[in-house]
Amino acid sequence: MEFQPTIVSFLCNWCSYSGADLAGTSRMKYAPNIRIIRVMCSGRVDPTFVLKAFSEGADGVLICGCHPGDCHYHEGNYKCLRRFLLLQKYISQMGINPNRLRLEWISASEGKQFAQLVDEMTEVLIQLGPNKFKEITQPA
Amino acid sequence: MKEPKIGVYICWCGTNISHMVDVKAITEEIGDMPNIKVSRNYKYMCSDPGQDLIISDIKKHKLNRIVVAACSPRIHELTFRKAIENAGLNPYLFEMANIREQVSWVHTDIEAATEKAKSLVIAAISKVTHHEELERRTVDINPATLIIGGGITGMTAALDIAESGFKVYLIERDNKLGGVVSKVDLTFPYMSSAQQLIKSLINKVSNNKNIEVFFNTKIKEINGYVGNFETKLKLQKKARELKFGNMILATGLKPTDPESIHEIGYGRLPDVVTALEFEQMLIKGNIKTKAGKEPNNILIVHCVGSRNEKYNPYCSRTCCMTALKYSNQIRSALPKTSIYHAYSDMRAFGKGCEEFYSQTGRKNAVFLMYDQKNDIPTLRRAGKNDRCNIIAHMYEKLSGEDIEIPADIVILMISMEAHENVKQVAHAAGVSICSNGFFMEKHPKLDPIATTTDGVYIAGTCQSPKDIPDSVSQARAAAARILTSISVGKVEIELTTAVVNEDICGACHTCINVCPYSAISFDEEKKVSVVNEVICKGCGTCSSACPTGAISARHFTDKQILSQIEGLLAVSNKLSEKLEMEEV
Repeated sequence: MEFQPTIVSFLCNWCSYSGADLAGTSRMKYAPNIRIIRVMCSGRVDPTFVLKAFSEGADGVLICGCHPGDCHYHEGNYKCLRRFLLLQKYISQMGINPNRLRLEWISASEGKQFAQLVDEMTEVLIQLGPNKFKEITQPA
Repeated sequence: MKEPKIGVYICWCGTNISHMVDVKAITEEIGDMPNIKVSRNYKYMCSDPGQDLIISDIKKHKLNRIVVAACSPRIHELTFRKAIENAGLNPYLFEMANIREQVSWVHTDIEAATEKAKSLVIAAISKVTHHEELERRTVDINPATLIIGGGITGMTAALDIAESGFKVYLIERDNKLGGVVSKVDLTFPYMSSAQQLIKSLINKVSNNKNIEVFFNTKIKEINGYVGNFETKLKLQKKARELKFGNMILATGLKPTDPESIHEIGYGRLPDVVTALEFEQMLIKGNIKTKAGKEPNNILIVHCVGSRNEKYNPYCSRTCCMTALKYSNQIRSALPKTSIYHAYSDMRAFGKGCEEFYSQTGRKNAVFLMYDQKNDIPTLRRAGKNDRCNIIAHMYEKLSGEDIEIPADIVILMISMEAHENVKQVAHAAGVSICSNGFFMEKHPKLDPIATTTDGVYIAGTCQSPKDIPDSVSQARAAAARILTSISVGKVEIELTTAVVNEDICGACHTCINVCPYSAISFDEEKKVSVVNEVICKGCGTCSSACPTGAISARHFTDKQILSQIEGLLAVSNKLSEKLEMEEV
């Protein structure tokens, strides 16, 4: 069987979670590898959440928020962006390929973009193979 | 914490979920997990019997945590919270797993979909285990209402609210009231005067003491929350601060720029006019070419900018009937003029509209069908020897022939777009915009008037193209919603705000610096951060910035989300372990 990655995703309640719902109500099809967690704002995504997901065996982590300028809380997405850039550097030093972590802007009307994003990220992760981070942090 | 006794309910949603997710298998498997007292599946969890199932289980089995796996929490989270509250349980001891919009509707493999649904249910169970009781806070509703847009929609809503005795602030960016309807001569299908209609409304609004109109005014920023919004207006002479409890966005429409539609000769040929320009001719009672001649031939081109991926993919809903209205008006004013309709499909869905269509068809008008997807009629200047100004060329779909139509005046039925200020208003009011550029409603079927921001309603053509009766219906519906909330007088607000654990606050001020609402201040005496719960909107940015974990976002605490992640990955972890075992 081909390796099937698991993606843990944090979606902001206002834009991206609605966008993912729209993909559903429009019956768009995308890869079943993604598991979504709803947070009120992408600014709520604590770096700990991302590291926890990787250490529990997620092969990829996807954070989605409102487009710049459209944040329901004015600027939470900018704060998320700052953390994300640092976090990408941080995880690569820990031996995790930075491409396993993505931050994308998805608005409430971008169901199609969301579906495409999930398919594309799933493809990338299949190429990268399983995340070995869990074996390091939680040796059997 | 009391020992968790969790009830899990998996919804079939008819066949919407059950056709792709093996709900029975999940129910059984979940039932064997620790702390699960009840695990059931049911055809429609949101129905009364479905809710009763939860309520009676809570009472019978003394459940203290509930998980419902069904549609998006954005649709039925409140429904289930209410049911749980009715059973005497705190409504926040509840979590939903979205297995319809994010599973059954988007996946095609039953096994993979079931596995994913299972992991979402387990994640919800892990999260709800750490949920805490939250008390809801009620706040008083300021009975004043802000309405943005002084067209027929905004004015109708303003009058309904003002005539019930409450204050309305009506914001108009122009220097007069009336909007697009004031630029229209007659209305379809009963050919009554739009001018009379709008003038009497303007009079009523101007004479109503409860309505304060602000002309030439734009809204930049709105602060606050349902019940207690405020905004600062920059007026010519002075600044003015308004406070209000609810608002209606009625910013209306903008006709598509005809010059952006290249096939059509607008701007290039003098006698090509837009529908609104033709309305002016009708209002003046003067249907003449630019050269001052009475037209022998008039061509009406339908769907200009509508139903075309290049411009607007949607139908503008009013142009077919407006075109028929022109047909009637031209026929009675100029009995000898030939009238041609270049249409792609006729849409006559409103009350009285199909009848209007068949009556107009009998009054000597030629209907020619063009292939809207491939070929909008092209217009060129007529030659010296032609007995007309313009010649239109099109492929007539029904006869299968390329034809030329003579015209002295060409009327373009231009599509409707959302007003250009829609983005600015959306940003100020905290609402979303749909892919076609209109304001996005809370739910397309169940709640088309409300938005995802409590206390903000949308009405009229800023929500989607619509005619006068539909706009007025929405206006009155929005007004009724607001009057209901005013008459209740109080509104419950979610208490999912941030809260500081003073024992471990390190006084570093990080949270104070990241809060977008300045909701956190520093208590100099205790040397800790303090959250003002009235101002805090619960975004949680402070919580993810806090180095000591002292400040937490209620209902989205670190513990809750971290266990949600664990639950989410439990299924795939188990699977991969199983696979490894098999490999060994």
